[in-house]
Amino acid sequence: MSIDAAEFLQASVRTATPLALAAYGELVVERAGVINLGLEGAMIAGSFGALVGAGVGGVGAGFAVAVGAGCATAAVMALVVLWLRADAVIAGTAVTLLSLGLTGTLYRALYGVQGAALSVPTIAPVAVPGLSLLPLVGRAFFEQPAVTYALYILGALLWWWISRTHAGLALRATGERPAAALAAGLSPVRVRAWALVFGGAMGGLAGGVLVLAQVGTFAEGMSAGRGFIAIAIVVLGRWTPVGVTGAALLFGAASQVQYVFQSLGWPVPYQLFLALPYVLTLLVLAGTQRRAAAPAALGAPLAEEAR
Amino acid sequence: MSDSALTLHAIDKRFGAVQALSSASLEVRRGTLHAVLGENGAGKSTLMRIAFGMMRANGGTIAIGGAPTALTSSADAIARGLGMVHQHFTLVPAMTAAENIALGGHGLLNIRHVAARVQQLSEHTGLAVDPHARVDTLGVGAQQRVEILKALYSDAHTLILDEPTAVLTPRESDELFAWLRRFVASGGTAVLVTHKLQEAVAAADDVTVLRRGRCVHTSRAADVGIAVLVRAVTGDDASAPASAVTRAAGARGALVARLHGVSARDARGVERIRDASVECFAGEIIGLAGVEGSGVHELLRLLAGRLTPSAGTVNVPTAIGFVPEDRLRDAVIEEFTLTENVALRDAAGRTGRMHWSVLDVQTAGIMQRHDVRAPSPVARVGELSGGNQQKFVVGRELDKHPSLVVAENPVRGLDIRATEHVLRELVASAGAGAAVVVYSADIDELLPIAHRMLVVFAGRVHEVRVDRAAVASALVGAP
Repeated sequence: MSIDAAEFLQASVRTATPLALAAYGELVVERAGVINLGLEGAMIAGSFGALVGAGVGGVGAGFAVAVGAGCATAAVMALVVLWLRADAVIAGTAVTLLSLGLTGTLYRALYGVQGAALSVPTIAPVAVPGLSLLPLVGRAFFEQPAVTYALYILGALLWWWISRTHAGLALRATGERPAAALAAGLSPVRVRAWALVFGGAMGGLAGGVLVLAQVGTFAEGMSAGRGFIAIAIVVLGRWTPVGVTGAALLFGAASQVQYVFQSLGWPVPYQLFLALPYVLTLLVLAGTQRRAAAPAALGAPLAEEAR
Repeated sequence: MSDSALTLHAIDKRFGAVQALSSASLEVRRGTLHAVLGENGAGKSTLMRIAFGMMRANGGTIAIGGAPTALTSSADAIARGLGMVHQHFTLVPAMTAAENIALGGHGLLNIRHVAARVQQLSEHTGLAVDPHARVDTLGVGAQQRVEILKALYSDAHTLILDEPTAVLTPRESDELFAWLRRFVASGGTAVLVTHKLQEAVAAADDVTVLRRGRCVHTSRAADVGIAVLVRAVTGDDASAPASAVTRAAGARGALVARLHGVSARDARGVERIRDASVECFAGEIIGLAGVEGSGVHELLRLLAGRLTPSAGTVNVPTAIGFVPEDRLRDAVIEEFTLTENVALRDAAGRTGRMHWSVLDVQTAGIMQRHDVRAPSPVARVGELSGGNQQKFVVGRELDKHPSLVVAENPVRGLDIRATEHVLRELVASAGAGAAVVVYSADIDELLPIAHRMLVVFAGRVHEVRVDRAAVASALVGAP
């Protein structure tokens, strides 16, 4: 049995899409100097929001509610971390646990315990004329749901915004040295708050993609650690849009390796390969001791003088 | 057009129960250099932060260019033509000069346009800066020029400079003052916050003195003598300038520490000290001078036994008192009590349970012998004023009579009284038989107390006469 390389690539890109969306959000949050461990919570809230929204008003409403739900988790995070000045790691963990619990409870309350058969409309892949016929990479990159194409544009836009606008400069300065941003007449609190809201929106969108472009239904805890993987992707991508895109693809491919081994017929338990992205996450986080590329004020709460 | 560039009238500011400013007023005439003097904690920085919109007053009014203004943020102040050069630079180290200067703007960012404008401004004003250089590769003097250009880039007509010479070498300070004189001559206005009286009187048109949150003196600089200002700053006649502390005429004792043919590298592997030989004798104070990056900090750490040499031999005693430059980073933990900070000293060598009652008594002794004004040994170090924190650090190091004392910029940022106290402690320590090595960025603080002067230039150590001109020329590598 041979491995269909094109199919493998296509599946990799599909898996990478929600990871990259969430990672773009986290990239902006971390460039502002905050680590949002609530990203996983934003994703699961987005998935559940997508289910509810799509059930009421179709796919468009599903995406809209998904983004809104992600924003809501980020608003909680911003309130607790920036205004109530709680520790971001604890707050983020709490937001994730709360979100996982709340979506599970609401799901059971609204759709019953055996809601597994519940399905929502999904968006189908659209082939880009011409480009999708390219050998090997054509189908992988140009026969995907519209949201993947949005991702390409978003990645480029993000790079442009960070490096070519004053707002992007303000974002970077806030993550490097909030006191400098303050002295220049900017508000580090406001910059971090908007970054968190953007990060939450992207997390929600990523959660929505899982439901509306991939699985077609909701399951409790279906984000399955992708939010945390997205955080690792940001680290591996060295906090740049280009790097993050590449790292997301790598993780997408890692998730698909199990199928390769299955089709090769190797007698290895598939669970081992299911674990591969998580093992990769641990290796990345353990292997990046050199924090030279990280924003200097990453994880540092705003000092009283820099608010 | 009003004659006044900046007027602060009857400003009140409270922090909790502490009245930081009470009815403080300041009028800065357009086209002048105005010096604001005062001890640490007199309210100078608070007043300037209020003028720059970084803090709101509890009462009083602000007028810029004669027009009353309510400032809600520093963005407001910048929009009205104020610019501030902070004591601790507010630049992003990982960004270029141009990026730092562009920070705070709106819309699209064309960094090449910004760099070109900065280049132009740099040539026009004579403030030499490479717009493309990353700030963390620049020396302190250049970073300060970036800060000034940043203010001028947003069309500031009034500059507030908070302790601008604290980190500069004498030559850099001279250049800054020459530039400030040109700036005010061309119609600009500058407010200079400083605790160095001489430089204020020499450079400024007007002087205002703050003491305990009140303005106690305002006059033309030409009309006032140093003695009057010293009285206005300290509020009594008891304290003369720091130069009142002088070296003791004791005889040189035994050899205490010796570096022979020593070379050393910094954390990045750059060789900072080359083939240095230094001998320290009991009862002798060695004054050490050197600009940032000369290797002077590495030399101090070699002597303090905190840096391993890459070549040569280092013989230093085991009992060393070391006062590092950045006390809150390297000497004490702000959140810990005085006693806990005393316990931290040499903590690595001890095991077993802590004897807190013994340590409390020891700490109380240090407070009493070294004039550390704190509520009790269990007060947090962060609650103390900067001067008392430094007296505590010095006291902790000297209390056990080490045979070698190494002090790095020990009076940096301290007011006259605290400066005098710390210098007296060092002189007394030498008098009691210790070998003392003191580095200061301000050579005028060293000359009265040093028996010998060493200057580090580009990694090499030179001994020079205890004389201002000799040290100043050695600092810049002149023969």
